[in-house]
Amino acid sequence: MRDAFIKVLLNEARKDPSIFLITGDLGFGVLEEFASELPNQFLNSGVNEQAMMGMAAGIASTGKRVFVYSIANFPTFRCLEQIRNDICLMNNSVVIVSLGAGYAYGSLGYTHHALEDIAVMRALPNMEVVVPADPFETALVTEFLTKTKKPSYLRLGKSNEPNIHKVKPNIKYGKFNEVIHGDSGTLLFVGSIGVVAELAREEILKRGYSVSVVSVPFLSNLDKEYLENAAHKGPIITIEEHSTRGGFGSAILEFLNVEKITARVGMIAADQKNLSLTGSQDFLRISNGITSSRIANEFTKLVGFQR
Amino acid sequence: MDETARFSSAAKLALAARYEIISMTNIGKASHVGSALSVVDILSVLYTGSASIHPKNIDQENRDVVILSKGHSVSALYSILALQGFFAREWLETFCKNGAPLGGHVTFGTPGVELSTGSLGHGLPYGLGIAISRKKNRVRGRVFVVISDGECDEGSTWESAMIANHHNLDNLVVVIDRNGLQSLANTEDTLKLEPLADKWVAFGWETRIVNGHDYVQLQESTESSSRPLCIVANTTKGKGVNFMEDSVLWHYRSPNDEEAQKAVIQLNGNY
Repeated sequence: MRDAFIKVLLNEARKDPSIFLITGDLGFGVLEEFASELPNQFLNSGVNEQAMMGMAAGIASTGKRVFVYSIANFPTFRCLEQIRNDICLMNNSVVIVSLGAGYAYGSLGYTHHALEDIAVMRALPNMEVVVPADPFETALVTEFLTKTKKPSYLRLGKSNEPNIHKVKPNIKYGKFNEVIHGDSGTLLFVGSIGVVAELAREEILKRGYSVSVVSVPFLSNLDKEYLENAAHKGPIITIEEHSTRGGFGSAILEFLNVEKITARVGMIAADQKNLSLTGSQDFLRISNGITSSRIANEFTKLVGFQR
Repeated sequence: MDETARFSSAAKLALAARYEIISMTNIGKASHVGSALSVVDILSVLYTGSASIHPKNIDQENRDVVILSKGHSVSALYSILALQGFFAREWLETFCKNGAPLGGHVTFGTPGVELSTGSLGHGLPYGLGIAISRKKNRVRGRVFVVISDGECDEGSTWESAMIANHHNLDNLVVVIDRNGLQSLANTEDTLKLEPLADKWVAFGWETRIVNGHDYVQLQESTESSSRPLCIVANTTKGKGVNFMEDSVLWHYRSPNDEEAQKAVIQLNGNY
């Protein structure tokens, strides 16, 4: 995803000198081409997230679209008040780009696991939370984010994620993005966890039900029409590589409540029972309860059918 | 607004602002009168020519920028902005009232305000961003960030000091309102800052120490530099009203009618 991101950003930045990229001393092997080709639009701030984020807001206030690139919790929690006051309150045109969604940096330990960022970022006023599913979507939302002015949070995985879409999809702001269609229910997911949703679809198929697998790249602007149809069709399961508290599933539940849409909803998210556990992304997903069988069980429970 | 009504003398502007500060904190039952009286001379110097910023050039890209990072001393900034014609003086009379245009910390949307402040340590990184962007895009105009000495407790202040030096931002000026008092006690009893000027020197800044109530010294200290510039302006909290001077109490207390009257009499006598 990071390669898809930087490729599009560099391309857009060549055409648009108002695009500015700041890194918090991260991005080895990723940002060099941008830095050497467009030095006037690039800055390595050093290891100083608070000053970096305030500075990003200040740069944005001069008419720039500023992308701040860092990892996991560094560009969010470490500088949260700068994001709240200097970016969101002032409505400054900054995109926070955080690599390492969920357990992407699994073996590096909990300090590098990004599991509460969606909850915190989506609580902020004016903030647009964007979570692409794969490199296809990453390229498309990155281009989208270069064209808009809103404070935004772009949550990316790491590298070498597979494309979950068979062909390059169309991205429309505020619209869900169906990967596969099914008639008996809906698996909604954010980010690279879509591959687990696909496995769950297979398990659910074996139990006699066909469900849609759907990416939700725009968390701050949910698709009411899609959700109304999904609620009518069958159970909705939300799937995220994030804490249960306040994340994507919570966003869906809040939205359904506000819009008075009645639905059967299950939430699959990280248990976070053992915070000291380290390992690969797949290992930590499984250890924290984000598994295809759990998704399938949740679905069959809600559909009123258990084999 | 009649342009001729604007002040060209820092001394006259500061005195007029002092009367407004007493009145605003009295009517609005607002805090931080001591902080406002401490910084008002610094701001008066900036807004009478040391910084090129006035209502007529506010929309120009290359004007100077002033950020009051110690947002709690808002009554000083709003007084000066009103007196210099950024908005109607009448707004000051509803300071801190429900729904009024002016509230208890510096807030964006008010004409002349660059950044909402109130949480310390935000103004310098933001001003640093403007200064860096101007450097890279060859936009002239300097960025003045007025911070409190207590604000030098914040890590973001020193992070910014390093970044500004690294990029040799000769268009960035920090003015420290060095009144020696913070929320609960003397700065040196709270968290030792001294040797404060030496710290800025060590961080690579050209550092000038002045009397923060001496208009000539302040004006001279803002002359351009070849490196980022730190002005340590030694001040007295509550300056100009003897019962408010150098007192932690007046960080919070708002003057009642009797105290406000006494303060006005003092100002009449002292200036």
